[in-house]
Amino acid sequence: MVETSNDSNKKLRGISFKALKATMKGALVYAVYYILWMFIAPISQMIPGLQLMIETFVAVYIIFIIVEELTSGTIYNCFFNVAKALFVIGYLISAFNGGIFGITYQNINLIVDLRLVLEIATILSLLGLAKSVFQTINFMSEKAEYAPI
Amino acid sequence: MRIPIKIMSLATTFFWIFLIAILITAVYSAKDLQFSFGQPQLLTTSDNKLLFSIPITIINKGFYDIDYFNLTTKILDKDGFEITNGSTFIPVIEKDQEVNATNNMTMDINDLLQRNENYLFNDTELGIDEIGSIRIAEIIPVQASTNFSIRWGAPLYNFTLGQYQYTPINFTQASITIPISFDNHASFNLDGSIQIRMYNNTNGLVGGGQTDIEVLQSSHYSECIEFVVQTMRITESGHVEVYFNTSFFDYGPIVIPYG
Repeated sequence: MVETSNDSNKKLRGISFKALKATMKGALVYAVYYILWMFIAPISQMIPGLQLMIETFVAVYIIFIIVEELTSGTIYNCFFNVAKALFVIGYLISAFNGGIFGITYQNINLIVDLRLVLEIATILSLLGLAKSVFQTINFMSEKAEYAPI
Repeated sequence: MRIPIKIMSLATTFFWIFLIAILITAVYSAKDLQFSFGQPQLLTTSDNKLLFSIPITIINKGFYDIDYFNLTTKILDKDGFEITNGSTFIPVIEKDQEVNATNNMTMDINDLLQRNENYLFNDTELGIDEIGSIRIAEIIPVQASTNFSIRWGAPLYNFTLGQYQYTPINFTQASITIPISFDNHASFNLDGSIQIRMYNNTNGLVGGGQTDIEVLQSSHYSECIEFVVQTMRITESGHVEVYFNTSFFDYGPIVIPYG
């Protein structure tokens, strides 16, 4: 009976710790976004939909971070890791629209070629995906090592 | 396997931060770029072509050098055909540097008249296409383009030959005086000569005269050409041919019937 109570306490403490860690990570990402947004804000008025696009990305990314943290130590963590990496790749490709942005501002047509940036970002996202796959393999192999024969 | 995963994680994070930092600072640098265009100047080249010169000043107060600055200006006629173009290329504009350049375009009015002689007599609009491109932070090419129109002022606007005056000198010769008037709406001064040849109804040359002109831009010209003709060659009807020889263009004949 005492052991069960201790287990519950441990579990509760573990969940609380994970929740705290997830909150802190989420808050940190949001703080970074908030600071970076101050730099982008002057041009956001020129590009319609930029703020919504970035806000959506940050919101989904923070949700992934929180869920990942809450499911750490389980196989679901690996799933969410891979899902996050795939989300970043997918969102980059769809949001960057092939890497070429066209804006019309006061009779001036502006074309910004971000293809090189998109390529670098996609490579980094693929690296993140590879890392997630390795983490899954590592997790499964560790589980197999400790499994009773 | 944990150590390689940690290293991958660290490397990915580092490169992401690096990439985002470059992107943000590049955007911020673009905000601190200043382009200013001076008053366009109209000059004349040694081979009597019009030279449009637009002074450009670029001040780079951003964090990065600017590469491959290229400005191309195209002048188009009302049908969209290119009349002339000019390009300015600056390989590098270093940070905290101010660069002055000019975008020059030469225009041969004779070429313009071959396309459409109405440019001499009617005011119209010419289209201007401006295309500028730069590369920020060595990874982000940016291109800006715009188009607008400018007024083309005809150098011989409302060109008119008045009613000629016939004054007998003796039994065989007479003096012909023909009034000429036009408005120089062009943005350049017109200097040269006008030559007139008068033909009778059998296309025989009756006589001709020439006068020098010097008409300032945006001013009216009204003078007379006087020449002596053989009385017996004059008929009640015929035609007059007008030729222009100016420093910017040679044009003629304009055939105007009389009688």
